[in-house]
Amino acid sequence: MFRNYIKIALRNLWKDRTFTALNIIGLTAAFGVAFLLSMYALFELSVDKFHENVGSIYQVYTTSQIPEGSESSDANPIPFAPTLKSEIPGVEKITRYATGGPLITYKEKTLSIGSAWADPDFFDIFTFPVLEGNKINPIERSTVALTEETAKIIFGSENAFGKTITLQRNNEAAPYTVSAILKDFPEASSLRFGAIFNFQDLPDSFYKDNKDRWDAHNHPVYLKLAANITPEKFEKSTRPFSNLHFADDITTAKRDGAKPNADGQFQQIHLLPFTDVSFADLQVANVKVSKTLQYLILSIALLILFIASVNFINMSIAKGAQRLREIGMRKTLGASKSQLFFQFWGESILVFIVSVMFATLLSFLLLDTFQTLFRTKASFNLIATPTIIFGFIISLLMITLIAGGYPAYLMSKLGTLQSLKGKLEVTGRNRVRNALIVVQFGIAILLISGTLVLQEQLDYMRNKDLGFNKEQVIAFPLKTKKDRKQLMQLIRDELSDKPNIVSVTAADNILGLGKDGTNSTSAMGFEYKGREVETNLLFVDYDYPQTLDIPIIKGRSFNREYATDSLSVVINESMVKEFGEKDPLNIKFVLDDSIQYSVIGVVKDFNFQGMDKSIQPLSFFMNSKKPLYQAYVKVAPVNLVKSYDVVKAAWNKLEPDTEFLGSFLDANIDRTLQKERMMTTMISSASILAILLSCIGLFAISLLVVSQRKKEIGIRKVVGASVSTITVLLTKNFLKLVGIAFLIATPIAWYATSQWLQNYVYRIDLNIWIFLAAGAIALVIAVLTISFRTIQAALKNPVESLKTE
Amino acid sequence: MLLELNNIFKWVTQGGSRIFLLKDINLQVEEGEFISIMGPSGSGKSTLLNVIGMLDNFQEGEYKFLDESVHSMKEKNRSKLYKEYIGFVFQAYHLIDELTVYENIETPLLYKNVKSSERKALVADMLDRFNIVGKKDLFPSQLSGGQQQLVGVARALIAKPKLILADEPTGNLNSKQSEEIMQLFKELNQAGVTIIQATHSETNAAYGSRTLHLLDGGRNHI
Repeated sequence: MFRNYIKIALRNLWKDRTFTALNIIGLTAAFGVAFLLSMYALFELSVDKFHENVGSIYQVYTTSQIPEGSESSDANPIPFAPTLKSEIPGVEKITRYATGGPLITYKEKTLSIGSAWADPDFFDIFTFPVLEGNKINPIERSTVALTEETAKIIFGSENAFGKTITLQRNNEAAPYTVSAILKDFPEASSLRFGAIFNFQDLPDSFYKDNKDRWDAHNHPVYLKLAANITPEKFEKSTRPFSNLHFADDITTAKRDGAKPNADGQFQQIHLLPFTDVSFADLQVANVKVSKTLQYLILSIALLILFIASVNFINMSIAKGAQRLREIGMRKTLGASKSQLFFQFWGESILVFIVSVMFATLLSFLLLDTFQTLFRTKASFNLIATPTIIFGFIISLLMITLIAGGYPAYLMSKLGTLQSLKGKLEVTGRNRVRNALIVVQFGIAILLISGTLVLQEQLDYMRNKDLGFNKEQVIAFPLKTKKDRKQLMQLIRDELSDKPNIVSVTAADNILGLGKDGTNSTSAMGFEYKGREVETNLLFVDYDYPQTLDIPIIKGRSFNREYATDSLSVVINESMVKEFGEKDPLNIKFVLDDSIQYSVIGVVKDFNFQGMDKSIQPLSFFMNSKKPLYQAYVKVAPVNLVKSYDVVKAAWNKLEPDTEFLGSFLDANIDRTLQKERMMTTMISSASILAILLSCIGLFAISLLVVSQRKKEIGIRKVVGASVSTITVLLTKNFLKLVGIAFLIATPIAWYATSQWLQNYVYRIDLNIWIFLAAGAIALVIAVLTISFRTIQAALKNPVESLKTE
Repeated sequence: MLLELNNIFKWVTQGGSRIFLLKDINLQVEEGEFISIMGPSGSGKSTLLNVIGMLDNFQEGEYKFLDESVHSMKEKNRSKLYKEYIGFVFQAYHLIDELTVYENIETPLLYKNVKSSERKALVADMLDRFNIVGKKDLFPSQLSGGQQQLVGVARALIAKPKLILADEPTGNLNSKQSEEIMQLFKELNQAGVTIIQATHSETNAAYGSRTLHLLDGGRNHI
């Protein structure tokens, strides 16, 4: 019996080669892409789940009440972690954590290594196994633990264990002994470093100077909660702790008019499960864990599979009409419903098995491209846990059962006589078919609209006037062992006589995202006329506004001719508002170091942060003690590439050992839009695939409809219908379906995209044209697909089509 | 008594009035009979055959097959009954295009769950008996009409039915092929198989032992 089924299935599939091929191509593409997309989403969702203590690891953050509402922060003061552990029961292990990219020297070699500083508990909380060396505490004072990879980078083939490296600390070289080699991290780790040191070995300006201060927040804290306490209970039990240690902050907040939260607290410590940290923004008022992107990708994968399955269902049902006699005959020969069902379902399974095999092959072939395109390390073996494999097989079976089983069910329940006579009640089936086509095109239109909106928003953000010159300015990080001030002077001298170099400056922060991927924010609050004002800080060198073409609208910028400029401040317009003063040039204020600063100039607002944020108050300081990490060079608008080379050559001359990581600011801005670009790429590829698949389906259906109506077309032509009326006749029903799909999909697309745009302070206005364009694209493609066959049919000599009956 | 039809009525409702397809049909068939059903187009010959073959239902009357009441039987038992005892031969042969001659003949055995070795033997016998061993791997489209109907008869016989229902078995054949098939029926009848055929042709009807005439509106009259 089984062999007989397989045999007839293969013969049938071969007989309808065109449809089989269309089905297999469509399903292969859909499954292949769905595999890749779901792999990516599942990988992202699996981040940090490999730690043995997962479930009891939390990151600590604090929500504070401020006059405007509330704000959260994951930065904590230095004494916070030890005090929390000693005062609040339930903390089993706790560690402070800080990261940086110090220059590490071994023999003649100096490298910048991504590093971390942590307390010894770190290794009891997280699962980062020690391969060699001190397994109990790999990070005692003045020792360092390296990952295998980093050890290889620094020491090459030498054995790293026990060797000594030096590190710049407090402006002198400090020796560290390699005490342990760590196993390289799984790709799914969000904590990444090449070297890890003891937290107390951080520079004095970070650790020692703040050792007893509760008002300097500078690092995140992770803890492992004891088994007998829930996070909620723990959070509640920290209230007296917050009230005691943050008493000063609370007093200030009360004075400025902040309202306590629902529990009457001004400061509330919260725990965020460590596995959720990658999905949450801890800087916003209400910390929310958002896995939308991952679930969006998963649903796109499902939508694509849905479209391909619909094709399969529609083609199978339509083709079923040609097999009526076989069905009837088999029934008279004694086949039962279930036997027929299994026969037809078996044929579907065959197609699915072949498609899934091809799709697996396809996804492995495309894996490299996928990884580069979406900058991910995700791969199949990383997510291949038993649960996922099992779930995967179950979902495959479900899809086959529905997509293959539904047509099989329809065919098996046909009446014997009815099918023997080849008669079919057509209307009911067509309703299902039409509904499915509508949904299919609805999805395609939804995805196309999404692509268009995303694309426009991306273009908008790329081309928006940010308030500074991003085309002509090259920025590069000042990674050096030299004194940065001196280096800046050397750079200035080196570039001064070069043509096309307009001006040079430096600051302690970057605009956009540099090649080294760093970006930081620094903000502070201080008292001004009896209330708290807040500002972002930027320490700059001379010529900063000039180099970046930021217009000065009042007063002046820093000038070498004024000796007192180290106590001067230049602020932006938003800061003027924050001060609430009519004449900003008369503002004088005192910072916590009790030095008085005076405002000497106001610059026009510019977007120094991402476009999801409105422009916040910003103050430029020029403090000679603060290190400046980034240099900016403005070049003439001509020959940008050559100017870049000039700057690079200058750097290589002055710092031959360190790589030049310069890039134009517009490239830096582009880098900040990576997430948006990735989403655009993903959704646009998905929508291209969706429309292609929908068209394959439509094409197949049009083939079948034309062949079923062959005789009708012939008769109509004989009685005088023209080619165009017949084409319209055959096409218009399908176009109606696309029209309905458009009407259904557009409001959904409008709602979804406008929700997404809410994330951006600077955003495009949605207009109906975008959606009309999406509809038009779908319509045009559909028309082209159908007319290919219908025109051919309409042109045929009617005698031929009548003869075949 | 093989089967017995008593006062069978079958109708469809069209525009509020009943159109009778079968009207008060009474028929008794003994084992070993060869009955021809005659009548003009639309007189209900095929409908009657379908009712006898249990492929179609009727509204009124009673139908006994081997002393079991078919009209009160469940669908499942009914299909078991005809799977066991009835073979069909159609005017348009109704062979499955995707199966070879061999496989077409084998199919009823598959649905009766006959073992593989036994199947082989039975099909080989049948091919032998009909002299179509050389054609066993051909597909229906590669055969002439007469040959296709031969396969159709072979397929109807493979499950050793007590009754063969033939709906215009020679309608698509030329006279020579037609005669061969009728001759075959006659031989089968002599070997003990009961046959009921619907036909237009007096010549073919004459092969039967008894003829049933259907008038328009499906009234029988013997």
